[in-house]
Amino acid sequence: MAELNEMIHQPLRLKIMAALWAERSGGAVEFARLKKVSGATDGNLGSHLTVLEKAGYVEIEKDFVGKRPRTRIAVTPAGGKAYRGHVEYLRQVVEGLDR
Amino acid sequence: MTISRAEAAQALSDIDTTTGRSRTFGAYRVTGPILMLWGVIWALGYTGMGLWPVERWGVVWGVLDVVGVALTILLARRRSGTAAATAASSVAAWRGLATALVIMLFLGASFAIFQPTDQNAYMTFPVVLAGFIYAGIGIQRMPRLIWIGAAMAGIALIGFYAFQPILPFWLAVVGGGGLLAGGLWLRSA
Repeated sequence: MAELNEMIHQPLRLKIMAALWAERSGGAVEFARLKKVSGATDGNLGSHLTVLEKAGYVEIEKDFVGKRPRTRIAVTPAGGKAYRGHVEYLRQVVEGLDR
Repeated sequence: MTISRAEAAQALSDIDTTTGRSRTFGAYRVTGPILMLWGVIWALGYTGMGLWPVERWGVVWGVLDVVGVALTILLARRRSGTAAATAASSVAAWRGLATALVIMLFLGASFAIFQPTDQNAYMTFPVVLAGFIYAGIGIQRMPRLIWIGAAMAGIALIGFYAFQPILPFWLAVVGGGGLLAGGLWLRSA
């Protein structure tokens, strides 16, 4: 029986993890793109990414492309496992298997 | 903490929506540079049609199409990340190539059946067809392609009805430039 992951269940963090999981085969995702996909503001996205990073669910890389700063985010193996577990829990709740 | 069935269903729906948006943006990122490439090819091809006699048109487009297809496959592979994604992109690129061949066969069959004697119709029809195909793909997967396809078809038809004396150059500058601009728009997504 899968369990609810309260860290991931927060709506924006769930969107962040869903986007990163969908993009995992293409490597890390740029901050600007994650912002568009999730519909979050800069500050909101940054603070939730920090929470997910502290939990070990995402890795954040900062570098420069020419003179332009770039932030890229990728889901970690632990993050992927936690996300899949949470999605499984949601499915079980919808199908009434959690009781 | 537990959640209700409705909350779980809403969360799964949010996941589906986000995953769909993510895939669409990913498709834009791959398609943008390819569209820009074909904008340049179209500009060169239609400029060639304007400068050279009809006997050379086949050679011009034959060379440009081969170069375009080869570069399209390279671009599709370059945009991938992991080995698995590169392999998937290669499969997608070959499917795209097969689709392009089917469309070319359709064009050939259409010309064989209708036998257009008007060179302007011969020039305009492929652009209008491509525009509608882009719009169709846009309805299915990438909404921005609806506008790009509609613009292509509209520009070609405006040229056909209003600018026939300069039609090849109209299609080269406005059509090729439109594809280039559309590619930039997709890439910026």
